[in-house]
Amino acid sequence: MRKILLLVLTAAPLLAFSQGFQVNLGGQKQIGMGHTGTGIVQDGASVFFNPGAVAMLPENYIQGGISPLLFKSVFNPAGTSIQDHTSNKVATPFHAYAVWGPKSSFWKLGLGVYTPFGGLTDWGNTWQGKYVLESLDLKAIYIQPTLSIKLADWMSIGGGFVYNHGSVDLTRAIPLANSSGDAGQARLKGSGKGYGWNAGVYFKTEAGITIGITHRSQVNTTISGGNAFFTVPASLQSSFPQPNTFSSTIPLPATNSIGFGFYPDSKWILAMDVNLVNWDSYKTLSFDYKNNTAVLQDTHSARNYQQAFSLRGGAQYKATDKLALRFGGGYGGTAVLDGYVTPEVPDANRVYGTLGLGYTVAKHLDIDISFEYEHLMQRTQTNIESQLSGTFKTDVYIPGISLAYHW
Amino acid sequence: MKTFKLHIYIVAGLLLLGACKPEVHTPKPSSGTVDFSRFISLGNSLTAGYADGGLYLAGQQVSYPSIIGKQMQSVGGGAFTQPLFSTAQANGSGYLSLTGFNADGTPVTTPVTTNLAIRGVLPVPGFGNVTLYTKYTGDINNYGVPGIKLMHITYAPYGNLNGYFERLLPGNAPTNSTTYLDFVMSKPFTFFSNWLGNNDALSYATSGGAGDVLTDKNTFAALYNVLINTLTAKGQKGVVATVPDVTSIPYFNTITVSAILAGVQKANPNAKALYINALVSGSTYAPRAATPNDLIVLTFPASKIGQPVATPVGNLPYGLTPYTPIDNQYVLDEKEVALTEDYVTSYNTTIKSIAAAKGLAVFDAYTFLQNVKLNGLVINGVSVNSNYISGGLFSLDGVHLTPRGYAIVANEFIKAINDKYNSSIPQVNISDYNGVKFP
Repeated sequence: MRKILLLVLTAAPLLAFSQGFQVNLGGQKQIGMGHTGTGIVQDGASVFFNPGAVAMLPENYIQGGISPLLFKSVFNPAGTSIQDHTSNKVATPFHAYAVWGPKSSFWKLGLGVYTPFGGLTDWGNTWQGKYVLESLDLKAIYIQPTLSIKLADWMSIGGGFVYNHGSVDLTRAIPLANSSGDAGQARLKGSGKGYGWNAGVYFKTEAGITIGITHRSQVNTTISGGNAFFTVPASLQSSFPQPNTFSSTIPLPATNSIGFGFYPDSKWILAMDVNLVNWDSYKTLSFDYKNNTAVLQDTHSARNYQQAFSLRGGAQYKATDKLALRFGGGYGGTAVLDGYVTPEVPDANRVYGTLGLGYTVAKHLDIDISFEYEHLMQRTQTNIESQLSGTFKTDVYIPGISLAYHW
Repeated sequence: MKTFKLHIYIVAGLLLLGACKPEVHTPKPSSGTVDFSRFISLGNSLTAGYADGGLYLAGQQVSYPSIIGKQMQSVGGGAFTQPLFSTAQANGSGYLSLTGFNADGTPVTTPVTTNLAIRGVLPVPGFGNVTLYTKYTGDINNYGVPGIKLMHITYAPYGNLNGYFERLLPGNAPTNSTTYLDFVMSKPFTFFSNWLGNNDALSYATSGGAGDVLTDKNTFAALYNVLINTLTAKGQKGVVATVPDVTSIPYFNTITVSAILAGVQKANPNAKALYINALVSGSTYAPRAATPNDLIVLTFPASKIGQPVATPVGNLPYGLTPYTPIDNQYVLDEKEVALTEDYVTSYNTTIKSIAAAKGLAVFDAYTFLQNVKLNGLVINGVSVNSNYISGGLFSLDGVHLTPRGYAIVANEFIKAINDKYNSSIPQVNISDYNGVKFP
C-alpha cells in the first residue's frame, strides 16, 4: 500500500496537473474534505464519486445541494497597466442523488443529476480580448442511473449510464465597425446531448484502509442546430447570412480516480484522491456553420489540451454525534499548454483549500455546508492563435449547501 | 432573530466575496531616463491624424501622437494639445466615407462636404491654388502638417504654400516667413517624436513618378542632421521613425494590372496587354506592355480603359495600344518603384545612423509595415493586413491609417521609447480602436 502511495506521490510532480473547465462539486460532505470521495463512503454522492461504493451505503438517501460559484479572473494585457476583470456572475453547479435498496440486500439502485463540467465567464464588450471572447456560459448536466452490487462484505462494484444535456452560449465581438465605429458581434447559442458511462469498484482492506477506483467515460456532447446570430454593419449582412445555425462537438473528457480512506479512530476519517483527467481528447474547438460565405468560414481552433492529474486530501472529525467538521485541500495542474490559454478557460496550476460542516438537524436529516477557496496561479501567456498577450490570474470562491434525507 | 443574524452574516459574506477582485501587480510606470513633461510631435499627415483622404476632427483625435501623449501622462507627461478642428467644423478638409459596395463588390466612396473648415482658396502665382483653413490659435504639441516634406522644414515661404501649416501660423498667407523648424522650436520641450521624410519619397510615388520629384539623398541627409541637431540642442531626447516602403501600402496594391486586364478581356477577349508609359532612364519615358511589377494607383479611373483616344493614326482605345498608353500619373512603373525604393533605403540609412549617433529611439516603420504586408499581423484576435479596406490597417485613401492602424503604430512607438530609455509607458488597448467604418 505504501508503495503505491509513494509511487503516486513521486510520479505526481513529474506530470502536469489539470482542471480545465471541470467542476468538481459533487457533494458538500466531499467538498468539505477537499473533494475526496472515491475511496470512502459518506452518502448518496457516491453515485458521482464512486458508483462501486453505493452498495456499501448503510442507508437509503435522497439529497440535493448547490454550490454557487464566483469565478473571478483578471487579465493584464502585456505592456499595459490595464486590469480587465470578469464581471460578477454566479454559476450554479448543483447535484441531486437518490439511492435506494432493500435493507441489508446486496444491491442498491442510484440516480444522480450533477454538473461535472461548465464555465461562466463574462469579460464584457470593452476589454482587450473582446474579439476573442466576450462571454461564455457552458453547462453540462449529467443524469446517471446507477446499479451497485456488493460482491462480498469487503468488495462492491457499480456502474451507471450517463446522459448529458449540454448547452453553450458564447459571444464575441467581430472587428467590423459600423458607421458609429461600434464593433459587430457574434453569438452562438445552442444545446445538445451526449452519452457516457461511469463505473467503480470499492474495497475494504484487512488493514482497515478503504480503496476506490473509478472511471467516468468521455462524453462527446454534440450541439447541432444551435443558433448563430451575427450583428454586423448593414452593407456586410449578406456575408453573414441570417438565420444561420451551427454545430459543434465538445469532448467532455474521461476521468480516472483512485481514492483511499483511513480511519485512525472512530472520530476521524482521512481521505485521499488522485485523479487523472484525459483532457488530451480536447484537440480543437470547432464551429461548423450551416450557411458559409467567403467571409463566414467554419472555425477550427486548436486547443491541444494535455492529460492531467490532481491530488486531493481531506479529513472529517466527528466532534459530537450530530456535528462533523471537515477540511481539506489539493493541487490541480493545468490541462492547457503554454500558447493555448484562452479567456474561455484562463487555466493554470491551482491550489485550493476547503472547509465543511455537517449537522444532523433532525432524525434522518443532515444539513451540510462547505466553502472552497481556489487560487489559480498567475500565468503570463501569448495565445498562438489570437496573439492575445498578457497575464491571467484567477480566484474562485465556492460556498455550498446541501440537505440529505436518509433512512 | 438568531436566524436573521445568520442571514446577515451570509449576505455580508457573499458581498465581501463579490468585492474581492484579483489584481495583477504591474511595475510602477516610470519615465526611465527621460523627461516627458512636454512632448511634441513633428511629422506630416500621418502625424496629424490624416485619414480617408482628409484631415478631420475624428481622425485628429486618434492620431498616434495624441495616443502616445495620453499614455505618457502616467509617467510624468504633461497635457498633449492638438490643433483640432472645432466641432462645428469637425469635417475639416472633408474626407471620403464608405457608402456601399457595387454589385461586383467594389467599394463606393463618397466625399463628405459638410461642416468643413475651409476659409478660402488663395491662388499663388507660379505654384497654384492653396486651400486655406480656419486658423488655430491655441497651444500645440502635435506639429504634424499634412503634405510637408523634410525638404520644406527650413523653407521660409512654406507657410504660404501649405494650408495646413498656414492654419497654425499667426500670419495670413502670403505674408508668412516662419520656417517649420523655427515654428516648432519657438517653445521649449523635453521630448520629441519625428516622422518626417515620408513625403520626400511618397509624393513622387503617389503621383506616379510624374507630378513630383524625389528629394536628393544628400539634401535629405543634410536636412535630417540640421533637424536632429536643432531638436537635441538642449539635450532633449526623442524617437524617430523610418520611412515606410511605398510598395507596402494599398494605394499601389489594390488595382493591379492583371485585374484590369481580366476586366478588359471579359468584354474583349482579344486584348493581350495594357500599355503604360514607362521610365527608360533619367527622364526618358517610352510606351511598353505593363507587367505585374508595375503598380497602378488606387485613384485610377478604370472606366477610362478602352475609351477612344484621338491619335495621329486615328482613334484608338485608351490603355490598350502603345499609341494610347495609360497616363504616367496613374502608374508607378517597375523602374520608378526601384528608384523610389533606392531613395527610401538611403533615407532610412540616414535616419538610423543619425538617430544612433544621438542616442535616439527608432521605430522602424519600414520593417514593421513590410512585415505586415508579407505576413499580416494578429493582435488580440484581430487579423490585420495591408489589404485595402478589409485589412483594417489602412483607411479609405489607401495611404493613411485607420484608428486601429494609428493605435498599433502608437504602441510600436511606445515600445521603441521604452526599450531605449528604460521607461515603462503603458501601451494602449488596440481593441478600442476600429478599422474602416462600414455603412
